[in-house]
Amino acid sequence: MLLIDGQKHEVTVVRRRPQLVLRVNGRDHEVRGRSSPGVGRQALVIDGDSVEFVRAAAGESQFLRLYGRSVEVKLADVRATGANAGAAQDSIKAPMPGAIISVHKAVGETVSRGETVVTIESMKLQTALVSPRDGVIATIERTLGDSFEKDEVIVSLEPLAEEA
Amino acid sequence: MNSPLAPARTAGNTVPFRKILIANRGEIACRVIRTLNAMQIASVAIHHRVEANARHVRMADEAVEIAGETPIAAHLDANAIIAAARSVNADAIHPGYGFLSENAAFARAVADAGLTFIGPNAETIALMGDKISARSFAAAHGVPVAPSVMPTQDIDTFAQEAARIGFPLLIKAAAGGGGKGMSIVRSAAELADAARIAASEAQRYFGDGRVYAELYVERPRHIEVQVLGDGKGGAIHLFERECSVQRRFQKIIEEAPAANLPESACDEMCAAAVRLVSAANYQNAGTVEFILGADGRFFFLEMNTRLQVEHPVTEMITGLDLVRTQIEIAAGYGLPLTQDKVRRSGHAIECRICAEDPARDFLPETGVIQWLDVPAADYLRFENALDLKQRITTDFDPMLAKLVVHGPDRNTAIERSIKALNELTLLGVKTNADYLAAVLGHQAFRAGDLHTGFVAEHRSALLATAPSDVELDHTIIAAVLGFKEFDALAFETPEPFATIGPWRN
Repeated sequence: MLLIDGQKHEVTVVRRRPQLVLRVNGRDHEVRGRSSPGVGRQALVIDGDSVEFVRAAAGESQFLRLYGRSVEVKLADVRATGANAGAAQDSIKAPMPGAIISVHKAVGETVSRGETVVTIESMKLQTALVSPRDGVIATIERTLGDSFEKDEVIVSLEPLAEEA
Repeated sequence: MNSPLAPARTAGNTVPFRKILIANRGEIACRVIRTLNAMQIASVAIHHRVEANARHVRMADEAVEIAGETPIAAHLDANAIIAAARSVNADAIHPGYGFLSENAAFARAVADAGLTFIGPNAETIALMGDKISARSFAAAHGVPVAPSVMPTQDIDTFAQEAARIGFPLLIKAAAGGGGKGMSIVRSAAELADAARIAASEAQRYFGDGRVYAELYVERPRHIEVQVLGDGKGGAIHLFERECSVQRRFQKIIEEAPAANLPESACDEMCAAAVRLVSAANYQNAGTVEFILGADGRFFFLEMNTRLQVEHPVTEMITGLDLVRTQIEIAAGYGLPLTQDKVRRSGHAIECRICAEDPARDFLPETGVIQWLDVPAADYLRFENALDLKQRITTDFDPMLAKLVVHGPDRNTAIERSIKALNELTLLGVKTNADYLAAVLGHQAFRAGDLHTGFVAEHRSALLATAPSDVELDHTIIAAVLGFKEFDALAFETPEPFATIGPWRN
């Protein structure tokens, strides 16, 4: 998830071959060429158009000049989103529709934040779903080969004990 | 500036000064150093520790650190700066603009220390620095002033007298500047309250609560005249500049000559400015500011007794180096040329590039310069002291740079300025550069239909339009592929371990 002036924008990899296709805000775009990450004058061919731009990176931000505008694009802080969402910290939701291709943990096992619990495949892209916090697996809603829709809860964690 | 004055003035190796300390920083310190280099005068920079590696420090032949609780406090520490000048055996101090440049006590202390202050004497600074004494002096020498009411301590009496001028009225702080303690009053009912608020603001900002009221000119233009005085009554003008495009009462675009200015109005203003400067025995370059009404009447606003931020537009049309002129006048060499020798050619426009967000009422922005590509051409000057990775903080003024462009005519100067603004790539901090291009491209600006309310009047037309969906998506793609992790994910990740980590929703 990316932010421009506080507006959220979603990017997903639709496919990588034969050409990279990225879905931005629900619209698919074919990308040819590869920019070198980070600073400098760059060009990509997007939807057949040569797009020239200047880009600089700093931490969680990319600064760009293109189409006569200077723009800061920020990486949305996923952890902050989780913390604000409260309950979201207790579950792992599917970021996109797909299928489970491996399950790495069992109910009752402890996990630490960032540890992979299941791997999913979605639009030919495999994605590791990681635990949002340290905890204990409460339920795993799907098993190997199961498919699911976007935003379905795949794994839930034991709720944290209330502070005494 | 590649327009040296008559070399005879410094012939025989008799340069006016050996070493000059610049009591300033940023672009103006760099600009002064350029002229000192050309005149073979050694330069001394001053700096607070937070800017020890700044460009003006690197450019100068010597540098002295001034201690201070804040960087601004250091640049306002008159005693420390004079001590620094003495410690390096400088023989003069150039104050630039802002900071101590119009501080009479500083000018006096510099003189008392046996150094030359590159500017007028303390008495003249004091005379012109007080809006009321300046105004009275102007009126006494045949310079038109707007009908007004002098300040009194009694707000109610003041309000009654002010109401007699008629409305709208402008309430101003006697010791003011920069729009502080200033307000427009449109009816008798708001007058007393507005005066009270202005007085308390004036007290807070300037330690002087006196306010005065004057006729408010609707849709006024800000026209100013560049002058030079030799200190003995000799004075010339270098024509006018128009500085009507302002935000928050501060100029953002200046040009010379003024657009659509009847020659008679121009001549009258220039003649009035010269009368004032001559009468004051003014010694330095200076600027006499006027407001010009739609009816052609003009009134004295104030006189700035220093180099002006926008001086380069005058340099570009006249071919004179104003810093050199200041130094030579301070050395007692007199005026560089007579009035009949002053020529102007073409048109020049200055855009002030500021770290600010035009979409949020021009509030200052901060950041770190991550990329800097500056426009370059023989017809432009990009006056700046910027460095890659420089931190832009609120320690100093938000002005980052000045783009000054010359053209054979106004339209060419506008087109060249827009092109140069678009070529400027300054990433890492939000700036008004694209906003300035939008102002220059606006039909009202092109038509020369200018007044100090221009920014407010055309607010919605000047704000950036939303990008198209395609432009937005392309921007996001160009951005997301700048993250190493995403680039690797899109192009390299071995299949079983693909992760979109932070990109999951």
